[in-house]
Amino acid sequence: MISILETVGFYSVAIVILYSGFRVVTTRNLVHTVLWLGMVLGSTAVVFLMLSAPFLAAIQIILYTGGILTLMLFGVMLTHRDYGFTTVPNDSRTQLQAAVLGVFTFGVLAFGILATPNLPSQPAAVPNTQKLGEAFLTEHVLAFEVLSLLLLAAVLGAIVLARKQDPQVDGEVDGPRIPSRRVGQPQKG
Amino acid sequence: MNEALELLANPWIHGFVFGAVIVTALMSVTAYITWFERKFAARLHSRMGPTMVGPKGLLQPIADGLKMIQKEDIVPRDADRLLFNAAPAITLFFALAVAAVIPFSPGLLASNLDIGVLYALAVSGLMGFPVWVGAWASNNKYALFGGMRAVAQAISYEIPMVLSALVPVVLAGSLSIGQIVEYQIEHGWFAFWPPGPGIFAFVLFMLTALAEGNRIPFDIPEAESELVAGPTTEYTGIKFGLFASAEYIHSLLASALGAALFLGGWDGPFGIPVFWMLLKTCMLFVGVTWIRWTLLRFRSDQLMALCWVYLVPGALGLLLITGLYVHVRG
Repeated sequence: MISILETVGFYSVAIVILYSGFRVVTTRNLVHTVLWLGMVLGSTAVVFLMLSAPFLAAIQIILYTGGILTLMLFGVMLTHRDYGFTTVPNDSRTQLQAAVLGVFTFGVLAFGILATPNLPSQPAAVPNTQKLGEAFLTEHVLAFEVLSLLLLAAVLGAIVLARKQDPQVDGEVDGPRIPSRRVGQPQKG
Repeated sequence: MNEALELLANPWIHGFVFGAVIVTALMSVTAYITWFERKFAARLHSRMGPTMVGPKGLLQPIADGLKMIQKEDIVPRDADRLLFNAAPAITLFFALAVAAVIPFSPGLLASNLDIGVLYALAVSGLMGFPVWVGAWASNNKYALFGGMRAVAQAISYEIPMVLSALVPVVLAGSLSIGQIVEYQIEHGWFAFWPPGPGIFAFVLFMLTALAEGNRIPFDIPEAESELVAGPTTEYTGIKFGLFASAEYIHSLLASALGAALFLGGWDGPFGIPVFWMLLKTCMLFVGVTWIRWTLLRFRSDQLMALCWVYLVPGALGLLLITGLYVHVRG
């Protein structure tokens, strides 16, 4: 009974992922594309749950669906002047680029999976959030810290890019002068 | 009877049954929360509130619901029909999905997820997203501005919310809400013990929960004086109703989460555990409502300043203190 339900569940999720992935590359409306991508990422979280990796599933939702997708939507909205339904170009050159990139990525992934020996056929019986945390801070502590440093650099870079230039500090600003007002400072009174 | 219990032990069937029960209960409770809120607000304003429909206006929610269903369902001509229609349902889905991991008593929860806290925060953080999609699909500038504000606010306030929720996680050494509650039953509620980080984290958590749920004083996305009705400008009838109930359910479940993480969950001196959990949730919700009808709305930049200048560093400091405490405690 359980195994049938699990099988049905897995294949339904797989179909959803594949169909959404197909729609990501065929949809021309840019916002719809991002939302189909959201479907792919969200359904992948369900696959993680089925493989008894709830931590990965939650992180997948927080990071990809919550963070990156929102960022992409913001990007789509803010980089196009018309609020209307932006479409992606569909010429042969873009198609060629996409095809090359897709085949390359698929090849790397397939090679990586096939080259890894002894992949377990069954998920670990016990949820392994604690083990994961311990591994991060003991075995892989260097990689973990390097990643944090990378993220810190990214945050600093974002601040530098987003900062309004102060004429007194940075010299003359190009373009029209923006009356400088401290953004984010609550005004008194 | 035994067979039925056996069937319930199956995680899939357990999930379906409890899911149905919890969703039904939450939706009915939400209807009456609107009645309570209107009465409560009326008292704060020295008014009467709803009095006409039924004794003490008790049938008002039903009348409201019927009215919403009867209203004309308008889809703007230039809207993205599919997304416009889907957004309210998805919003409600994310709001309800948090309920899956909230333990009402030791046995009464839909899923005892190993990483309950993380799941609840992930799902509730997603709620701003479909609101924004619906706003974009409306193809209305006020809706779009409101949606942008909603999602910016949701992203910003998710950070201090997660950080403050990490304080009980670090103290109890578990990401499972059930285990956090059990730890509190043994060692005292985190809001009071250890004194210091717990109570501040609790206040921070409730504050950020208010902001995530777009409640006053954080309801800038739908600031009606500037943006008509924000993301819901173009929505009518029951679709608007779905957005509104999603908001109520979000506040209610955030109160439940606060009660479980900081106030000892179902812990109480006597009687049945469910009662204490529900009592604490209701108390917190009354507090949230009280704030809503007392305070004014922040300005958009004040809101962001509050988050990034005070709440995020504050939450990080709290987490550091908690970590040191746990380290010293050994």
